[in-house]
Amino acid sequence: MTGRTRAARRQALLLLAPTLVALTALTVYPGCWVVWLSLQHRVPIFGVARFAGLDNFAFLAVDPRFWSAARTTAAFTALSVALELLLGVAVALALARQERGRRLGLSLLLLAWAMPSVVTAKLYEWLYHPTAGLINVLLGAHAINWLGDPRLALPAVILADVWRSMPFVALLCYARLRTIPAELYEAAQVDGAGRLATLGRVTLPLLGRIVLLALLFRTLDALRAFDIMFVLTGGGPAGTTETLTVYAYRSLFQMLQLGFGSAISVVVFALVMGAAWAYLRLLRPRAVVA
Amino acid sequence: MRRLLLVLWVAVLSGCGGSALERGPVTLVFKYARILGPADPVPELLREFEAAHPNVRVRGEALPWTSDEQHQFYVINLEGRSPGFDVMMLDVIWVPEFARAGWLLDLTPGLHPGELAPYFPSTVEAATDHGRVWALPWNMNVGLLYYRADLLGKYGLAPPETFDELARQVVRIRAGERDPALDGYLWQAKQYEGLVVNVLEAFWANGTRLLADDGTLFPEPGRAAEALGFLRGLIASGVSPAWTPAADEELSRRAFGDGRAVFLRNWPYAMDLFQARDSPVRGRVGIAPLPGFAGGPRGAGSTGGAHLGVSRRSRHPELAVDLARFLTSERAQKAIALGAALSPTREVLYHDPGLVRSRPELPALHALMRAGRSRPVTPYYLLLSSTVQPEFSAVLVGLKAPARAIGDARLRLSHFLDALR
Repeated sequence: MTGRTRAARRQALLLLAPTLVALTALTVYPGCWVVWLSLQHRVPIFGVARFAGLDNFAFLAVDPRFWSAARTTAAFTALSVALELLLGVAVALALARQERGRRLGLSLLLLAWAMPSVVTAKLYEWLYHPTAGLINVLLGAHAINWLGDPRLALPAVILADVWRSMPFVALLCYARLRTIPAELYEAAQVDGAGRLATLGRVTLPLLGRIVLLALLFRTLDALRAFDIMFVLTGGGPAGTTETLTVYAYRSLFQMLQLGFGSAISVVVFALVMGAAWAYLRLLRPRAVVA
Repeated sequence: MRRLLLVLWVAVLSGCGGSALERGPVTLVFKYARILGPADPVPELLREFEAAHPNVRVRGEALPWTSDEQHQFYVINLEGRSPGFDVMMLDVIWVPEFARAGWLLDLTPGLHPGELAPYFPSTVEAATDHGRVWALPWNMNVGLLYYRADLLGKYGLAPPETFDELARQVVRIRAGERDPALDGYLWQAKQYEGLVVNVLEAFWANGTRLLADDGTLFPEPGRAAEALGFLRGLIASGVSPAWTPAADEELSRRAFGDGRAVFLRNWPYAMDLFQARDSPVRGRVGIAPLPGFAGGPRGAGSTGGAHLGVSRRSRHPELAVDLARFLTSERAQKAIALGAALSPTREVLYHDPGLVRSRPELPALHALMRAGRSRPVTPYYLLLSSTVQPEFSAVLVGLKAPARAIGDARLRLSHFLDALR
C-alpha cells in the first residue's frame, strides 16, 4: 500500500467518523439496549428488574394477541404496499402523458403526501363517520359501518394509508419517467410497437428499479405503521387493526412492561431488517440498466 | 425504537438544565392540560397565587392533548429523574401507579384534620393508596344518562330506571317517530379507555366488579359474562346502532347533539354543548342516573376527572403543596366551574347560588356524582385496562363469547401480574 492511498484512507475514515459516531450513539447503542431489555422482566417504576432469558419471547410465541398483531401487520403491509405501487405507477403514467392540469395534479399529490399522518387519520375519521361522514352520505345514510365492523376496519385503515402514501410512489415514478429519452419511444415506434407493447417493453422495464426502490421504502414504513391506526381505531375493534408497533407501544408506555414491549420491538426490528436485506439483494446491480 | 431515542434525548436535554437560581424569586411549574375556549380560568388563578406569595412565580405549562400522550410524557420525564415541574395534573386512574412508582409527594403528613371531608368520598378514595393520600381532587366527572325530554314527554314516558325499560322506550319511540335516522341508545365501545368505563358500569349494575378487594380478577365471572352479553345484545338487537363499537365520547355526543338519538351515556361536559345557542337539541335534553338491571342495584356512573399531585423531586415542596391546595380550594374550583365546563370535586359548590345561576344542572348532578363509583384503584390500572380492552371489544362486535373473553383476559393478566411479584 502506498503512502498516498494510506493517507486517503485515513482521510476517508476521518470524514466518516462523525456519521459513524452519531449512528452508533443514536442507533446501535439504543438498538443493543432494546435487545438487552427484551431479555428481562423489567417494570422500572415498580422496581422490577430481573433477567428472564427468553421468557418474553416464549410468551410471545403463545400469545394470541401477538399473533393477531403479526397477521394484521402482514395483511396491512401486503395490501397497502401492493395498492400503493399499482396506483402509484398508474398515476405516474397518466401524469406523464398529461399536458393540461399536470401541475395541479402534482400539487394535489404532494398535498396528500405532505400531510402528517395524524392529520390524515383525523380526516378519515370524519370521512368514515357512521352518520355524518362524507363517504356514507354519498353511499346513503347508515350504509357502511367502517370502523365498527371487524371485517371492514382494516380495509378502511389500509385505504387511508394508500391515499396518503400512494403519491410518494407516484412522484418517484413520475420523476423517472421524465428522464426516459424520447428517442427510445421513437425507436419503438419505428419498430412498429403499439402502445401496449411500448408500455410493456420500454416503459415498465425502465421503471423497474425505481419501483423496487419504492417497494423497499414502502414495505419498511408499512411494517412499522403506527399513527394511522392508533388515531383512527386505537387498534380496534377486537384488536383487528392492532399492528405489532401499536402492541409494542401499548406494552411499553401504557402497561409499562419494558422487557415484554422490547421483545415485540425486537421482532419488528428483525422483520424490517429481513425485508430490507431481501430487497437490497434484489436491488443489487446485475446487468447495466439504463 | 424511536420512543427509546426520545427517552435518550429527553435525558440528555434535562441533564443540561438545572442551574442554581436559588436567590432570585422561586419559580414553580404547573403542568396541566389547557382548557379549550377563550376562558381558560387557570392563568388568572396562577396570577392570584403569585400576588399572595410575593417571592413566587408560577409558570403554567401545557400537557399534550390526549390522555395517552400525557401519561407517556409523565412516564418519560418522571422516570428520567429530572422532572422540571412541581405540581402536575393527573388523570385520576394514574394516582396509585405514580404513588407506587415513588413519583408523588405523600401529602398525608401535611393534611389538616377534616381537610378532605368537603370532597366527594369517591374522589378521595381514588387519591388514596395504602392509606396515604397522594393527590388533591381537582375536577370530576361521572357517567350519566342523557335523554330527549321532548320525545319522552310526547309518549308520556319517564326516564328509564332499568335497561329493559330503556329498550322498550326505544322501540316505542322509534316505532312512533318512523325516522330511520333516529338511533336508540348511544354509548362508547371503541377500543379505548371509554369502553372499559362503559363495561364497568354494566358490571356494577349487575352486582359485580372487575377487580375484588383481595386482587381477584373477575370475582364473579358468571355475572360479568352476563353483563357483557347484555351489552352485546343492545347492539345486536338494534337498541344501540351497529357503529357503537367505533363510538367514543365525541362521536356519540355529536350524533345525540344533532338530534339523531333518544338516549346517550356520556359525561357532564356534554350538557353545555347541548344547551349552546345553535344546538338542535337546546332545551330538549334531560339528565338521569344510568339505568340498572331489573332487581339489581341502582345504576351508578363511573367517576373520572383530574387530581393535582406534587412531584417528589420538587425543590420547593411546601410551596408546591400550597399551590395544589390553592387550585383545589373552593374559590378556585368555583372560578374554574364558571369559566369552563368542568365540575367541582367539592360538594358544597353544587348548591352555590352564584354557580347554579350559570350552571343550572349542578344540583341534579350532585346526586349523580355522589352515587358515582371509582374504577379499580390499583397501581396496575393501565395494565388491567389495556389488557381487557380488546377482549371486551371482541365480545361487543360478536367475535368472542363473553366467557371466553373473560378467560383470555384473566390468563394474560395473571401472566403479567405474576412477573411483578
